[in-house]
Amino acid sequence: MIPEPDVVSVRVTTEIDVAEARQEARKLALRHGFGTVRAHGLATAVSELAMNLVLHSARGGLIRLTVQDAPEAAVIELVSEDDGPGIPDLGLAMEDGYSTRGGLGCGLPGTRRLVDAFAITSCVGAGTRIVCLVRRP
Amino acid sequence: MTEPMHGVGQILLQNQAHVLDAWLARLHDTAPSAQPASLQLLKLELGTLVEKLTAFFLTGEGEGDALKSVEAQAAAISAACARDGLTPMETATLILSLKAIAGDLLNRESGRGTNELDRRRAALDAVVDKLALVTFASFVETREEIIRRQGRALLDLATPALPIWRHIILMPLVGIIDTQRARQVMEWLLEALAREEAHIAILDVTGVPLIDSRVALHLTKTVEAARLLGSQVIVTGISPDAAQTLVKLDVDLSSMITRGTLRAGLAEAFRLLGQNAKGPTETML
Ligand SMILES: Nc1ncnc2c1ncn2[C@@H]1O[C@H](COP(=O)(O)OP(=O)(O)OP(=O)(O)O)[C@@H](O)[C@H]1O
Ligand SMILES: [Mg+2]
Repeated sequence: MIPEPDVVSVRVTTEIDVAEARQEARKLALRHGFGTVRAHGLATAVSELAMNLVLHSARGGLIRLTVQDAPEAAVIELVSEDDGPGIPDLGLAMEDGYSTRGGLGCGLPGTRRLVDAFAITSCVGAGTRIVCLVRRP
Repeated sequence: MTEPMHGVGQILLQNQAHVLDAWLARLHDTAPSAQPASLQLLKLELGTLVEKLTAFFLTGEGEGDALKSVEAQAAAISAACARDGLTPMETATLILSLKAIAGDLLNRESGRGTNELDRRRAALDAVVDKLALVTFASFVETREEIIRRQGRALLDLATPALPIWRHIILMPLVGIIDTQRARQVMEWLLEALAREEAHIAILDVTGVPLIDSRVALHLTKTVEAARLLGSQVIVTGISPDAAQTLVKLDVDLSSMITRGTLRAGLAEAFRLLGQNAKGPTETML
């Protein structure tokens, strides 16, 4: 029997939504037996992606977290999706220190290091979609 | 065009007391959460509204100062309702109930089934509907103003800069650091540094739930600005979880002095002040 997935989604348009999204993420991780370091890492990844939605996508976007939980292992899928301007050069955006808005430019590359799997697709004029996986143990 | 309005105005004028009484009699049903203490004031306000409404109909003009005056009064009532904790639903119901009350009155005074009645009721309904909209907008505006004020009050509360020793100030940060908070932290810290003639500021982030690249950016900017004033900033209270995450994010915190605990931060502050500070040794803390 496959257990029902635990799903949380947050519409992100302002900074308050970012705070809510990462709180939800942390609670979700702790609820499914992830350690505090992993929960903190996931919350930070959510914070980075959500803040990017606020800063770089005019109309914000959606953060969705889905947990597949089994006794021996669990995985949280984090999806960030928007219909914003898209990213013209993904290679550049994934570089440490690259920012178009005066940030530190470590949001995307940092997030990739925080999670177990990371995939980004972006289409100029149509939007950006990022999928991350965080595993337990 | 002026006749239906003028007719309504005449009828209202002769029945102002009745309209007000009928309105107040319904208060209990329309606005059950109104507090007894605020009822007295509400009665006065509603009385004024009935008067202004009457005056408006008597002018016979659809637009103009008389209408503005009625709308202003409705907005004032609505704002009072918002502050007294009435729901928007109650506030709108309260205003809209005037339709039924004054409508009954028009029925009685105009004689049933006449065209005259229809036109008068239409004139009345149009105005009351408009007032309900004004009320709603004003209600939302008042609530938002309250929220903004509470937000500002919270901001002020959340960011004290404490002169804890000669030349040392401490700023404990508690809660979420968003752009607005970050800006304020920087401003207040710099102000306090100048005011207290402090050489060192300790920014304690024990109460900050998460440090992402944005918060790191704000911290870095604050440290740089303080340096321009000739002061140093020590950041304390980064949790072990946060430290591991910051390493992965690879944010560059090398420009700032960081210490795990406030205690270690204080010790570092005294060390930096050196002989100038006749401060205690660490065992005295
Ligand atoms: N959802 C998005 N839509 C459009 N562009 C984006 C999006 N996310 C990131 N970008 C682009 O990629 C760049 C790099 O993003 P990254 O998060 O690494 O840095 P940053 O947001 O600029 O700064 P930091 O995250 O360090 O505060 C951004 O400056 C922006 O140009
Ligand atoms: Mg970013």
